[in-house]
Amino acid sequence: MKFIFVFFFLSLFVLSGQSQSNQTLSGYVSDAKTGETVIGAKITINELKLGTTTNNYGFYSLTAKKGSYTITFSAAGKESLTKSIEFTKDTTISVELSAQTTQLGEVTINGKQGDNVNSAKIGQIELEVEKIKTLPAFMGEVDVIKTIQLLPGVSSVSEGGQGFYVRGGGPDQNLVLLDEGVVYNAAHLFGFFSVFNVDAVKSVNLIKGGIPANFGGRLSSVLEVNMNEGNYKKFKVKGGIGAIASRLTIEGPLKKDKGSFIISGRRTYIDLIMKAAIPDSSPFAGSGYYFYDMNLKLNYRLSEKDRIFLSGYYGKDLFFFRSKEDDFGVDMPWGNGIAALRWNHLFSNKLFMNLTSTFSDYQFSFGSKQDEFSISLMSGVRDVGAKVDFSYFPSTRHKLKWGLDYIYHTFNPSSVSAETEDVVFDTGEAQKLYSHETAAYILDEFDLNEKIKINAGLRYSAFAHVGPFTRYIKGDISTPDTSNSYNKGDLIKFYNGLEPRISGRWLLSDNSSIKAGYTYNYQYVHLTSLSAVSLPTDIWYPTTDKAKPQKGWQGSVGYFHNFMNNTYEASVEIYYKGMKNLIEFKEGALPGDNLNDNTDNLLVFGDGWAYGIEFFFKKALGDFTGWVGYTWSKTERKFPDLNNGDVFPAKYDRRHDLTVVGSYKLNDRWTFGASFIYATGNTLTLPTSWYVQEQALLFNYGARNSTRLAPYHRLDLSATLYDKGYKTKTDPGTGEEIKVPKRVRSNWSFSVYNVYNRANPFFVYVDNDGDFLNGDFKISVKQVTLFPIIPSVTWNFEF
Amino acid sequence: MTKAIIFILTIVFIWGCTKEIDIEIPGYKEQIVIDGSIETGMPPIVLISKSKDIFSPTNLDAFLNGFVSGATVIISNGFISDTLDEICSDNLPPGTEEIAANLLGIPVSELATNKLCAYTSFNSDIWGEVGKTYQLTVQFDGKEYQATTEIKPTTALDDLYWKPEDNLTNYGFSWAKLSDPAGQYDAYRWQVKRINTGLDGQPIDPIFTPTFNPVFDDDFFDGLTFDFFYENPMVWNDPNVPDEYKGFYALGDTVVVKLSKMDRTTFEFLEKKYNQIYSAGNPFSTPINIPTNFSNGALGIWAGYSPWYDTLICQP
Repeated sequence: MKFIFVFFFLSLFVLSGQSQSNQTLSGYVSDAKTGETVIGAKITINELKLGTTTNNYGFYSLTAKKGSYTITFSAAGKESLTKSIEFTKDTTISVELSAQTTQLGEVTINGKQGDNVNSAKIGQIELEVEKIKTLPAFMGEVDVIKTIQLLPGVSSVSEGGQGFYVRGGGPDQNLVLLDEGVVYNAAHLFGFFSVFNVDAVKSVNLIKGGIPANFGGRLSSVLEVNMNEGNYKKFKVKGGIGAIASRLTIEGPLKKDKGSFIISGRRTYIDLIMKAAIPDSSPFAGSGYYFYDMNLKLNYRLSEKDRIFLSGYYGKDLFFFRSKEDDFGVDMPWGNGIAALRWNHLFSNKLFMNLTSTFSDYQFSFGSKQDEFSISLMSGVRDVGAKVDFSYFPSTRHKLKWGLDYIYHTFNPSSVSAETEDVVFDTGEAQKLYSHETAAYILDEFDLNEKIKINAGLRYSAFAHVGPFTRYIKGDISTPDTSNSYNKGDLIKFYNGLEPRISGRWLLSDNSSIKAGYTYNYQYVHLTSLSAVSLPTDIWYPTTDKAKPQKGWQGSVGYFHNFMNNTYEASVEIYYKGMKNLIEFKEGALPGDNLNDNTDNLLVFGDGWAYGIEFFFKKALGDFTGWVGYTWSKTERKFPDLNNGDVFPAKYDRRHDLTVVGSYKLNDRWTFGASFIYATGNTLTLPTSWYVQEQALLFNYGARNSTRLAPYHRLDLSATLYDKGYKTKTDPGTGEEIKVPKRVRSNWSFSVYNVYNRANPFFVYVDNDGDFLNGDFKISVKQVTLFPIIPSVTWNFEF
Repeated sequence: MTKAIIFILTIVFIWGCTKEIDIEIPGYKEQIVIDGSIETGMPPIVLISKSKDIFSPTNLDAFLNGFVSGATVIISNGFISDTLDEICSDNLPPGTEEIAANLLGIPVSELATNKLCAYTSFNSDIWGEVGKTYQLTVQFDGKEYQATTEIKPTTALDDLYWKPEDNLTNYGFSWAKLSDPAGQYDAYRWQVKRINTGLDGQPIDPIFTPTFNPVFDDDFFDGLTFDFFYENPMVWNDPNVPDEYKGFYALGDTVVVKLSKMDRTTFEFLEKKYNQIYSAGNPFSTPINIPTNFSNGALGIWAGYSPWYDTLICQP
């Protein structure tokens, strides 16, 4: 309550108090061609060598003393624009920046030159979406998450594992946001594709180190994905036709330069291929898989000071399996739905507000029917939330941000129903869990002096587990099972805590700096996984009276250096991360239902830690761009109830991780891309011995995650062939040949995945075959590999 | 959830390619394995062996050499106790060879050449009785291992019948009607054998065989009456049975059903055991170490069963 009081006091103070000695320049930066706002555009007062960047809504605010200045506006892939102004009063300047080249998606100059050294951000990487499109893509589907996994400190568990792992944290410890809506499952088809359709994506920002105080709820990272707003000036259509999926995007003005829309859809046709491959006479006819997703965004400028945005995402994966012979059928759909309604308001040219209401839903279900028996299982999570963020720009050297955040969670960890023709089995009521999660934060980014920039913040978070709820207390031989029931709205357990965050930069010279960061986080939702591989069957589970919030802290220090006028960027970062109250299933747990039990009765809790060093070397400018990243790391766990209480490596513990990524623009028509990854094999638990009981061969497993798979490595290549971009015509007046821009632009994207056909392990298992009595009994370890070399081609178009 | 995982696994296996690899699996340690059971009206039977390294030889000799003799095994029902007799395969009482071979799962011819020892009691006062709790103590190599089990009351089936499958007039599953006692924990095991005689004049199935997923408890159906079916587990590997008839009982089969009740500890052992067997190679499940009710680091189970028998003649 004290915090809320301070919050409102602060808001009122800022609203009423405006400095008179300085003047403020503010406005929006947008793209000249599309009218879309530009995130992260740089605005510099050249005479003062001071500057700022646009926020996620393209807004900027600079406050400086009166004078005559030249202001430069620059952004990635855009021509810079310089304006002279007489700075005698508060001024609003909104500018449009033109694209640097006319080629489809090609970028040669990075408008964020120097950010590597100058910004106070540590462990933060912004990906250029157009750049991602030139890199090799699995089956031709360009993928944000796959690209993120090529960055140091980020990895995937294995081929086919969904989610990603940042600096030794689990897949649930990444806050994935799509236009501020939480994405609970960012993967299609077990992680082979992400839910982000790049045609609808505007920006991608990964924070793996010093997480600013405006983000919370996860321990390891924030992946912030913003959707395109749509073209404010004219209608455009773009799309792609690929080997297994096609996509189409339509965008245009709702009212020219006032509002726009974008709608983007994607669907795979694996099911159609399977349908063609499986004849109707086959016992498995009718089996298949597909996924689809849709993105929609509307935005409208109500006035110079007010804008509204409506964003939506809906995607679904569907597996269906039929066996005529066994009269057996399975349907397994899962997917996310996300919606966000936002209102930007400028209280003044120094005070920007964003009010957001969000809805996020992830559901997984499984239904099977055999003869007269049918069973269905559902699990999911649904969030309804609201947040408000204020940004205040008192001076060029000072940015203040504060806000409030609230989410109402409804979890359905697992509900089962089963019936035969006559009898409905008692599977209990679906146990839903309800909770309130809220947070308030304040952060201040300021220049202490010419050399030192600080970003300091404090976040206060709280979580209440409320009824209705039944807590089952499992008895033992001598004590019977008991339960406690709570009514709707009853407070079952309340947790809260302060989360300090600080990061800073010390500029050693114009092209080198040292940065450091410390972040402390609470996490109130958990992903519980039974498997060695992350799957949609993993269950989201909230903090309860029994499952405590995860807590984590991370400290990191890095040295950053740019060479040759920012053409090359290099950095070395070391980090240490500590984690408490991590969650795993008990050994041998078999969660199936919630009847007379709670899922968290099957969970155990422990601690974890991770440390490592990351090297990053990037060529940011020129026809050839790319990076080399290397990470040495270790991540371990200690659970009193697992592995006899001994320390064990996390399943995604990787000692070495090397990535090499390159993109080369040969000429206006050809661009080539390559990526190579080498990573130490994952850990897993395999049986160390066998024994016999009632003539059955049984296995006894050794220490947890004590076996290591073979290293993972893979090379992918790509080539993109752009069309000429113009037609040659003879001018009827002069008779000269002239070049006329083409209305329809297109390119061919060729990719080869796993060029040298490496058989990487997806998983390994112990197999036994034969018979003792026949003398052919054998125990062997077998490895399953998913993908051999896969070439693909996609045709992309735009008009 | 398990079904969902198995389903995904099927897809992955169809999709992926599999090869045998060399891999180091550290951490083997030898452990004593005690496989003991006691049924209503029957003597206790205890087999003792040692666990083997995962990459150790897996031929018949290695299997037979794993059995342990010379242990001291004591049973107690709270009133009396008895030290079990060691009976070895090279010195069996006449007429018991067939029983011993079936118990061990080896041919009769192997009995004499190998010394395989089991522990039992000829004192009928200590044989299984419903409602009694039995403690087993095994002393071997200076160590002592203990476990306790209870023999639960029997539950009879209301009905047992055979029903031909659609389009298969001569083949079908066995069906049963069960009324589960209300308000108490009940766990069941379903085993079967066909007693039709083969060409040699002997019953075609010498021993009881568990079906697929043979154990279940009443979490879902406490106090309910319902019908359910089970398949014929004996024909899956029978080359003489065409694929389309596998899993079914044939018209005219005579099947003895053994429905055993057990305590919760025994059920948990068997549930995890079959889960491990069925999820062998499944990367989407956690490694399942099968729990034991023995102390001091032994593997295995000391299980009490109260079987109920019924005979099904497969006629419509």
